[in-house]
Amino acid sequence: MNNDLRRKIVDMVCQGKDGHIPSSFSIVDIISFLYKNTLKFDSKNTLWDERDYFILSKGHGCLALYVVLREHGFLTDDDLDGFCKEGGILGEHPDSTKVPGVEACTGSLGHGFPFSVGIALGLRIQNKDNRVLVLVGDGECHEGTIWEAAHVASNMELGNLCLLVDWNGSAAQLMPKDDLPAKWRAFGWKTQVIDGHSQEEIKKALENVHFCSRGIPHVIIAKTIKGKGVPMLEGHGVWHHRIPNDAEYKTIMEALK
Amino acid sequence: MTSKKMRQQFADTMLEIGTRDPKLAVLIGDISHFILQPFAKACPGRFYNVGICEPTIISMAAGLSKTGLHPVVHTIAPFILERSFEQIKLDFCYQGLSGNIITVGSAFDYANLGCTHHCYDDFALMKSLPRTQIIYPASVEEFDLLFKETYNNDHLTLFRLPERQHEQVLDPSLIKLGVAIRLTEGHDLTIIAAGPQLKNAVLARQQLALQSKSVEIIYIPTIHPLDAKTIYQSVAKTKRVIVIEEHNIFGGVGDDVSKIVMSIPGVQIINLGIKGFIRGYGRYEQLCQGAGLSQEGILEAAGKIFHSNNESRLV
Repeated sequence: MNNDLRRKIVDMVCQGKDGHIPSSFSIVDIISFLYKNTLKFDSKNTLWDERDYFILSKGHGCLALYVVLREHGFLTDDDLDGFCKEGGILGEHPDSTKVPGVEACTGSLGHGFPFSVGIALGLRIQNKDNRVLVLVGDGECHEGTIWEAAHVASNMELGNLCLLVDWNGSAAQLMPKDDLPAKWRAFGWKTQVIDGHSQEEIKKALENVHFCSRGIPHVIIAKTIKGKGVPMLEGHGVWHHRIPNDAEYKTIMEALK
Repeated sequence: MTSKKMRQQFADTMLEIGTRDPKLAVLIGDISHFILQPFAKACPGRFYNVGICEPTIISMAAGLSKTGLHPVVHTIAPFILERSFEQIKLDFCYQGLSGNIITVGSAFDYANLGCTHHCYDDFALMKSLPRTQIIYPASVEEFDLLFKETYNNDHLTLFRLPERQHEQVLDPSLIKLGVAIRLTEGHDLTIIAAGPQLKNAVLARQQLALQSKSVEIIYIPTIHPLDAKTIYQSVAKTKRVIVIEEHNIFGGVGDDVSKIVMSIPGVQIINLGIKGFIRGYGRYEQLCQGAGLSQEGILEAAGKIFHSNNESRLV
């Protein structure tokens, strides 16, 4: 699934000589689904007033967002080729001041989610029915601001907000007590747990989210595999921020055929 | 002059602006809740006591700005500025979003609450970021006029509200963003005062007049951008300047004035600010005395300058 996008991610990393492949592979299926099926947007008018907002709070997974934005006409092949190069607009973290379609500068973890809570509140104040979807990492959930914002959004009943958590197990490497569903339920969120690589489960989960101006916010906790799609990359280890050599590149591309 | 408190003026101004501008929204960190109730009632859905989560309040305010609102964030200075500095830097300033941060409890206004509730590096922090403005109104009229002038522009503006006011009468037509006010004319010494320290500058000037010293007082409601032209013109005339501010000696107004006047031949400058931590307890006035932020502190500095027989620069 989405092997074409995964191949492009690997090419960008090899050309730009930087980037997080496994972190992007764990979320590319989710982001691809959102842009194909869920989000309202106009890639030629990125500030369209009626657009839905998607914020990638775990900014280091931005390669997954870039290739999807390319697929939907926000970016060009030249933009992708300029990844991490002088004069390019794409860096290792998404930059809303440079990249069409990127709503927030993220990378420092724990910023994008509370920023999204503010967007959701701002839309509600103005009686706008745009939806706000935001994706955080499970490691990012170590940040205190995630739980501050979770508490606030629940108490403010921001029903126009839906959070997706990339539960790829990064957090549990350090803090094994990691019952994310229980935590989110305890904070008052409608909580679903799905396979984040299954289009069918992503679809069903999103169908269960009833966006409204005032209501219980939803969280979809997506069980994912870091590096999903290439056995050599899967799991937690040296590949978090490593550039493939020529032999490794061939192996990866073979797996993604 | 009025006996109205700064915080009451803040509430009154929010009510006035909020009733005519539907884009004004106020987020607070569990202070001033009751005083803002008239705003909350008049502007339903635009007032939120978000609680004790200052970094999140800043990020949320940036999110409000992203949707086109004019956010106002209000709570105690160290928590909303020092703790939340990365959120201010990234979520507001780097992304080019605008808004307003209105603090109380700056410097050592909350004297007996100790170091955890002091904040005297706010000018330095905010000045370091592009697209920021810093307004330090020490009278209710200044806050009202300067907020109305700036709240919806495309900057992130810090309003530092002191507990004490300077108790001087200012010409309202001179209260404008980026304008320093020449309160008195003189030719022997320039005193540049920020915030309530203007009161001490006025008292010191009276004492110096008894010594036949003519003092020009420049009051600066806007810390950033600083009115360099007015400051330069004054100091080019007097060649002597004392800066007094309730801010760290590093990164405050004194540093900026030093850069502005350094090219003036023979200029002498003394910056009166806070050195290191304020560790003592006592009333605000006592802590001011201890830090040399007083009429006596100014007179001592003036004595050094007037009795200096060379052109050395004293900082």
